[in-house]
Amino acid sequence: MWIWQALSGILLTVLLVVHMVANHFVVEGGLRTYADVIHYLSNPVIFLLETVFLMVVTAHALMGVRAIILDLGISPAADRRLKAALFALGTLIVVYAVWLTGSAVLRA
Amino acid sequence: MERSLPYRPVSEHVARTPWWRRAAAWADLHGRREGWLAFILMRLTGIGLVFYLFLHLTVLSTLARGPQAWDAFIALARSPLFVAFDGVLIFGMLYHGLNGLRVILLGLGVGSRRQAELFWGAFVLSIVLTAVAVRMILMMG
Amino acid sequence: MRTLNLCILRGGPGRPAAYQTYRITVDEHLNILDAVQKVWATQDPTLLFRHACHHASCGLCGVRVNGRERLMCLTPIAEFPDGATVTLEPLRNFPWVGDLVVDVKPLMERMAAIQAPYVRRDELTAGGEEGTRFEDCIECGLCMSACPVVGSDSAYLGPSPLAMIKRLLEEPRGRDIRSLCLLAGDAHGAWRCHSVMECVEVCPSHVDPSQAIGWLRRYLILRGRRQPAEAQRR
Ligand code: SF4
Repeated sequence: MWIWQALSGILLTVLLVVHMVANHFVVEGGLRTYADVIHYLSNPVIFLLETVFLMVVTAHALMGVRAIILDLGISPAADRRLKAALFALGTLIVVYAVWLTGSAVLRA
Repeated sequence: MERSLPYRPVSEHVARTPWWRRAAAWADLHGRREGWLAFILMRLTGIGLVFYLFLHLTVLSTLARGPQAWDAFIALARSPLFVAFDGVLIFGMLYHGLNGLRVILLGLGVGSRRQAELFWGAFVLSIVLTAVAVRMILMMG
Repeated sequence: MRTLNLCILRGGPGRPAAYQTYRITVDEHLNILDAVQKVWATQDPTLLFRHACHHASCGLCGVRVNGRERLMCLTPIAEFPDGATVTLEPLRNFPWVGDLVVDVKPLMERMAAIQAPYVRRDELTAGGEEGTRFEDCIECGLCMSACPVVGSDSAYLGPSPLAMIKRLLEEPRGRDIRSLCLLAGDAHGAWRCHSVMECVEVCPSHVDPSQAIGWLRRYLILRGRRQPAEAQRR
């Protein structure tokens, strides 16, 4: 657990810098208009990178939530339920966001 | 192979305390120093960033509603209140990341005698970089 | 001589909790423990506190001095200016017995569960090597009081038991390594630590539990890849 949180954290520092630079500095003045954003996301490499970023962020965030709840000393059975619930939530987040951006790109 | 767990003692008086009282005790700042400050800031920024993740995805849903909705949001994002929010957000991300590196080192047994200096380093660097970032946002207009 | 106002948290289970202030004049070369003893001897024989050795080797006189976990025998009077008010409270995260005394059962139970020697056998049987250990930890519980996770996860082993596991793994002398690794290796062991670092700062005996927990994590990661038999031989 701790080790995954650490590894995803290190990965995130890299991916977050990439995300920020790509969104705000590659295009002069940053991605502003709708067309800019859609154009940016329609690059498959970027789309993949953003998806990986989203997955790592979600995993890191939900593992952090679990760590805080584990600090309150829950039973192993409750932990199993918690893990299942957080996994479902994480999957939902990733699927929703990919569907959202993917359909917007396809429509354009 | 089935492993039989060794005996694990449990503090009954802690188990009897309601969970919200135990969680509130994390914020007990009586007689604390840098290490605790680093911990509580890490926890608060972490919780804040989880909420931001949801907020960010909500904002992205305007993409699905087409150019008008998106551009309305961008106009909102340029308001001074929003830039202030950005500042808090950027500080939270920087502190969580930089202190995260500190926690990784300390968690593997490296540098525990220098932990307070490492905290102040991460804290001051976050503030400086936040100031730089906010300046950049304001200059980009 | 120096005059201090000792503001002591009195009370306990079934008794109301209230701060009571004692004005006491003591030699500035002494420690807070001497001042508390003088209060007990000259002003209030009902005051509850624990002490034995007066030189930081028994680990009994741990309290919170102005909120911070300290041994009273290691807290110099000279630290406080004349006329200062010094607040004394019992340790956190332990059941309260009364006044400055807490029940150290949670710590002692953990030390027993990890097979730490709590009877020095060589003091009982001549020539026995098994019980002789020269540990830094005096089992005072200051770190257990300073750690916020000890107060919220009832099953967390805590700083000093984890530091003791590290010592036992370094020098097992026939102990059951596998169960030590199971205790240290699950979510209530070494991985529950959030590096709050207060244990390191309050420890009066330079144990550095945080570094020991880091050592345990490295050990557990590396052990996972080693053959169990090889790990057993260590
Ligand atoms: S590790 Fe230090 S603070 Fe903790 S019980 Fe041992 S001597 Fe006391």
